Amino acid sequence: MESFELLLHGFTVALQPMNIMWVTVGGILGTIIGMLPGLGPATGVAVLLPLTFTMGPVAALITMGGVYYGAMYGGSRASILINTPGDGAAVAATFDGYPMTLKGKAESALAISAIASFIGGVFATIIMVFVSMPVARFAVKFGPAEYFMLFVFALAATASMTKGNRIKGFISMTLGLMIATIGIDAQSGVKRFTFNILELQSGIDFLVVIIAVYALGEVFKSFKNIAEGKKTIQTGFGKIWISMEEWKRCFWPILRSSPLGFFIGALPGAGGTMASLMAYNNEKQMSKTPEEFGEGAIEGVAAPEAANNAASVGAMIPMLTLGIPGSGTTAVMMGALLMLGLQPGPLLFQQQPTIIWGLIASMFIGNIILAVLNIPFAGIIVRVLAVPPRILYPIVLGLAFVGTFAISSSVMDFNLLIIFGIIGFVMSITNIPATPMILAVIVGSNMEQSFRRAYKISDADLSIFIASPICIVLIALTIISILFPIIKNIFEKIKK
Amino acid sequence: MPGPEQARQIFIIRGEKLSVSLITGLITFITGTTYTLIAMNLPAAPLGRANEPKIFPVSLGILMIILSFLLIAQEMKKRASKDNTEYEKAVFKIDNHIKSIILTVLNAAIYSFLFVRAGYVISTFIFVGLELLLFSGIKKWKSSALIAIIFSLAIYILFYKLLGVYLPMTPYIWI
Repeated sequence: MESFELLLHGFTVALQPMNIMWVTVGGILGTIIGMLPGLGPATGVAVLLPLTFTMGPVAALITMGGVYYGAMYGGSRASILINTPGDGAAVAATFDGYPMTLKGKAESALAISAIASFIGGVFATIIMVFVSMPVARFAVKFGPAEYFMLFVFALAATASMTKGNRIKGFISMTLGLMIATIGIDAQSGVKRFTFNILELQSGIDFLVVIIAVYALGEVFKSFKNIAEGKKTIQTGFGKIWISMEEWKRCFWPILRSSPLGFFIGALPGAGGTMASLMAYNNEKQMSKTPEEFGEGAIEGVAAPEAANNAASVGAMIPMLTLGIPGSGTTAVMMGALLMLGLQPGPLLFQQQPTIIWGLIASMFIGNIILAVLNIPFAGIIVRVLAVPPRILYPIVLGLAFVGTFAISSSVMDFNLLIIFGIIGFVMSITNIPATPMILAVIVGSNMEQSFRRAYKISDADLSIFIASPICIVLIALTIISILFPIIKNIFEKIKK
Repeated sequence: MPGPEQARQIFIIRGEKLSVSLITGLITFITGTTYTLIAMNLPAAPLGRANEPKIFPVSLGILMIILSFLLIAQEMKKRASKDNTEYEKAVFKIDNHIKSIILTVLNAAIYSFLFVRAGYVISTFIFVGLELLLFSGIKKWKSSALIAIIFSLAIYILFYKLLGVYLPMTPYIWI
């Protein structure tokens, strides 16, 4: 019961008044950002990261954690009320959430989405308490070759799972790895791709890439969509709560979707979007009245919301225990950790138990605070949705630049911000997904270093990468994840 | 989230239809080739194996070239099997929104020039103000100016005064 003791210790940290305040502040800001159209948790964490620069590591992580799950709660508010999901994970909430609003049942939809999110989040955090230590202990056995293969698997899975064209997913990933090779090579001191520009010698800060792609890219995209007209938003509400009958309908869907979401979230590449869509389809198939789905079935809101929040917690496990983020948002969270001088991975659990368990404990507290914020106060918070995009986007731009300056105190990074903003926009019009690139930029240099270390240990013998059973399993998983969509297609054809 | 309709966006250049994927394939090929060539000519490591710093980048470059071929091949195959009428529906227009993006980039360049010279509050007022004008139109200049000044002051107080993040000051004035 070592985990349990550590968790208690974590609670003594998380329950300090200042830390409760930070998780609340983070949660409110996250909820607001998550609600705004087009701005999901990844953008929220990226734009708000500079707020934490002067905090200690525990407070900083707790705040960012609050922003992260706050954005997950908030994302569905906009889906339900104006049919505009804040991010991919909130898309499934539009299927039945918006029809419920049209039928005058917005109160029930808002309440059940917060309740389901709460149960999904708390359930997943409980599993996390028990799973993370064994995973971290297992990961200590990994040598550089195993780590390299793990990176290969995580990136390949992410590129392969992204929606749309898989080849484009891999292009995005390769581009990210290329960006990560810019700068002075840590092992030999050779300058690579710096083109004699002094500022490029220390490499490109992944936070700049993240802010550029998520914030600037989003603003650039908005120019195209802004003329589409604004939807009116309901701001007057009755009591935001659900009836006993509605609760009975949602109870089992929530309990089924939470573990599903957690499991999918913990897989590399498959994030909240996939978890929520799977949970939705699952419930639709199991339902006795599938025809109600899409017309305002309350379990159609409950199931994806529970899954999506459970997935957001599940995704933290590979990031914290292995140093491998499984989604855009956890990649940004990992960026926050690295900025605080903490290297996520198995050793983090041994060296920094206070930080890790403080964070995990604060997830419980954060979920309680967010449920409170999102049920009784939902009517107040959703007023933010009335802010027109024409005001919102210039403010996001302003935040992106000040955030970038706060990272490095150098205006040089503004140029990189603009360049990567343009790259992000070009990627969006060519339908190249951004997530694999972001993950690759963050793990790229670690990946190359583990390759080089293994290469040195084996004296330039590449067979080290297939020498251990762990490596072979990882190679098999990589191949499966690349071929999975093809296999799935074949199966579907056979079915027909 | 790119929807299916977006996936069929087509650039029309001199009457010729070029699908986005084909252009992407070409850009990818050029990127991959340039990167590989630079990677191959990287200086040798002064210690240890001379080629070590090159191995990883060169492999990435080659992977990129392979991916570009795969993408082009996939697109050619699609074209051969589908009739082109479907492509006519969505036409990618280079119009106002590209203009707005170019203006935003120019505005950002001015911002980056003024940031240290004019100080945070003034340069941000100009940057956010211009951006608000770009989004809202010239008629709403009063509200834009007001929002811009509130934003730049609020961020200044939050970051500089409360959080202690360094921001450049305007010469000769207190902020």
